[in-house]
Amino acid sequence: MSTLQHLDDHIIARYTAQPSRLPPELRGQIEHAWEGAPVQLYALADLDQSLRLAETWLALGSRHVAMARREGTSWQVKSVERAEIEAVREAPGLSANTLTILGAPGEPALVLLRYTHRQRRAFENIRFVLEETLNGHERDVPAVDADRVYADSVARPIREAQALVSGRQTAVIRRLLAYLKPYRRQLTLGMAAATLITLVSLVPPYLAGYLIDRVVRPAQTGTLPVSTAATIAWLAVGAMALVYLVRQPAVHVRLRLMSILGEWVARDLRAELYEHIQRLSLSFFSRKRTGSLITRVSADTDRLWDFLAFGVVDVSLSLVMLVGLGTVLLTLDWRLGLVMTLPVPVFCWLIYRHSEQITRLFIRAWRKWSRVTDVLSDTIPGIRVVKAFNQEQREIGRFGERNEDVTAEFNRIHASWTRFWPLLMLGVHGMTVAVWVFAVPRLLGSGAELPVGTFVSFLLYTTMFAAPIEVIGQMARTINRATTSAHRVFEVLDTEPEIRDVADPVRLEPVHGKVTFEHVTFGYDGVRQVLRGVSFDVAPGELIGLVGPSGGGKTTIVNLIARFYDVTGGTIRVDGVDIRRLDTGHYRRQIGMVLQDPYLFHGTVLDNIRYGMPEAPLSQVVAAAQAANAHDFITKLQHGYDTVVGERGHTLSGGERQRVSIARAILHDPRILILDEATSSVDTETEREIQQALERLVAGRTVFAIAHRLSTLRKASRLFVIEDGRLVEHGTHAELLVQPEGKYRKLYELQMQLA
Amino acid sequence: METTIVRPGRESAPGETGTLRLEWRADGSLWALRGDEERAVSVRRCFPWTEPLRHLSLRDADEEEFAFVRDPADLDARSRAALDAALAVAGFVFAVTRVLEIDEEVEIRRWRVETRQGPRTFQTRLDDWPRTLPHGGLLIRDLAGDLYHLARPETLDRQSRELLWAFVD
Repeated sequence: MSTLQHLDDHIIARYTAQPSRLPPELRGQIEHAWEGAPVQLYALADLDQSLRLAETWLALGSRHVAMARREGTSWQVKSVERAEIEAVREAPGLSANTLTILGAPGEPALVLLRYTHRQRRAFENIRFVLEETLNGHERDVPAVDADRVYADSVARPIREAQALVSGRQTAVIRRLLAYLKPYRRQLTLGMAAATLITLVSLVPPYLAGYLIDRVVRPAQTGTLPVSTAATIAWLAVGAMALVYLVRQPAVHVRLRLMSILGEWVARDLRAELYEHIQRLSLSFFSRKRTGSLITRVSADTDRLWDFLAFGVVDVSLSLVMLVGLGTVLLTLDWRLGLVMTLPVPVFCWLIYRHSEQITRLFIRAWRKWSRVTDVLSDTIPGIRVVKAFNQEQREIGRFGERNEDVTAEFNRIHASWTRFWPLLMLGVHGMTVAVWVFAVPRLLGSGAELPVGTFVSFLLYTTMFAAPIEVIGQMARTINRATTSAHRVFEVLDTEPEIRDVADPVRLEPVHGKVTFEHVTFGYDGVRQVLRGVSFDVAPGELIGLVGPSGGGKTTIVNLIARFYDVTGGTIRVDGVDIRRLDTGHYRRQIGMVLQDPYLFHGTVLDNIRYGMPEAPLSQVVAAAQAANAHDFITKLQHGYDTVVGERGHTLSGGERQRVSIARAILHDPRILILDEATSSVDTETEREIQQALERLVAGRTVFAIAHRLSTLRKASRLFVIEDGRLVEHGTHAELLVQPEGKYRKLYELQMQLA
Repeated sequence: METTIVRPGRESAPGETGTLRLEWRADGSLWALRGDEERAVSVRRCFPWTEPLRHLSLRDADEEEFAFVRDPADLDARSRAALDAALAVAGFVFAVTRVLEIDEEVEIRRWRVETRQGPRTFQTRLDDWPRTLPHGGLLIRDLAGDLYHLARPETLDRQSRELLWAFVD
């Protein structure tokens, strides 16, 4: 069983309370009824006809579909031959979807099932296969593992939101601590310094008690000579000074070493994370929100720094401090020691309860805060609309109301902690009072004897209890926050890139640009195919225009040529070599892309043009910009090529950004060039300039150009019409126009009428 | 009758009305009939939370609007009954009757609830908050897209109210 399958099974079991696969006895029963034919796909209909939660299975075989309903301990199975099916319908609802499988017109539905959105993907897979058959494409349906497809379809939304199911917290902490290994020396020194601080902190109260009982009082009562007492007292004062002299450098060493060490670990994590992100496949980025990935590299590693630099040490030393304090106090006087130590667990529990309560308050405040940021993210980018509709006052009112709301929530939080901590301190002081209550009679002579010095030591130790109690009380929260961040970081690190080079990859030097598709099929999720058996042969230097309706598979073809994904069936060859055998990095350096919405990085125009070739001489940069019709507008900018274009190039117009991206592609000098709607979002004059630039760019290269405006592809060597994942027509513009019922001809005529 | 009929491929024109009949057939589908035209349709509420029982779009298998019902009261009794049955399916959401547990994990919030349809566990993103509906009540959307309706959270049992406290205004 693959790791992913195992993970999906775990997700289904943990989060959905539904079977992680078709019950084996039912599968056996169905396959027996089908004379051994295997179940190819299945789905769970989790609603009955009266819309209550239920368990009904739909299974698909090569010649049958079966519907199975649980009846007591057995299954009632109804099997239908696929040959009887004439139509399949799905009616989506808010949370209940209906799949109807129909036979002859007017006859009752063969199958009618209701299910929630959680099951919808599994049903869509079955519907897709049935519709393929109805459309006469049965041979294209790929062989898949039914369990795998079902588990993936149900678990995917949760997996994509969380990706890594929470492992044991201790395992995550152990893995995190492993990052400290390279810095063992610093860690040991830091921990030693922190231990020293803790231990020497216990000395001054002890010395105070010792001085009073063994020096001051005996000297006052005359049992110790004054000169001896003075010597001992000065020695004790010296020892106390020594304690502070040792303690403060130790504090310095601890703070410095641990904060630096934390930074090093955070740096290592950030570098590892970023490097790994760069190697991940495009499919990963389509699953994850950009903001979430940025947070992992920035905020999460920062939080881990805090945990490693201070959390680990604080928690462990607070434990040491409490144990040390307890031991010292019980040793000095067990009765007073118990008065002091017994309430400590209660205080820790109270702090824990308070942090739980504060968490709830924070959730509420966080929710209201998001309503404030919603207004900001709505109105600041949309300020033109706000002004155009004269809605400033309304928006001010909306913001003001939410601002008031969130302020009230934060004040509620402040009310909570400002009430709790004084009360807690009252409890701690109550301990001191309790010590007095128990101590005074003994000090005055009734009960067991209590030396005054011991009592003073107790009072001094009392003041040391509050800080470690607070740290221990917050320990659960500290560890939870750290493990959450660690999970998010490790989730990325544990994701394997889907595109990987073979052991001994081939380097094509040079790439000539012959591209061959042999029965290529591709689907983003394994069942539903975006490309279905596409085959073509493109000679070096050809300009291929890819045309057809949106969603037909054109962009998928160019994504496969760039090897952003691997085919699920068939082969793509470049200069006769299977693309999967090529050295991907080297191969991609031979590929250029000009996209509909060109992406420019924050930096200068020069940096952007040189992005693929940072060492290119300036003369080549200017030549590339001239060829791209970009030189003129660049030199008109105040800082010329050194102009900073801003985030995503927002200081330039769409046409200017496009020409910079063409200059970048020209300088890169690719052997295979991909143009994806390169001129679709600009005005006619700009389009003319870009078209000229593109004509210079395409010369001598193999080019795949996607365009909806067919007039821009007149000069193409050949046109490929892609529809519904298939290559339905190909030929030159003239050849395709003479086909009376041709798809291209229809598209072209339609555009001419609209022009 | 005020029901507007929209012919495929055309915008509805003001005043273009006709008699619409609705019926359930043996194939398990709701059929809309107008004159000699008939089509299996599904119902979409235009305002599922603002005005759920009016402004209904009847759409065919190609997702094209076949008819638009402004007010079901305009239909004949049989059609209205057929439409009510279709609305029950189209507008189905889980009705939460009790909240048993709300727990946070890495990136997600885990909910364990009892609904009128049976016990259910679902997950939401941490930054996906329950939505307050125009006529009161809360609506929660889980990771798969299923919806959970809490019509009157204030009337739930004490434990549910305590668990929901952070999510209700």
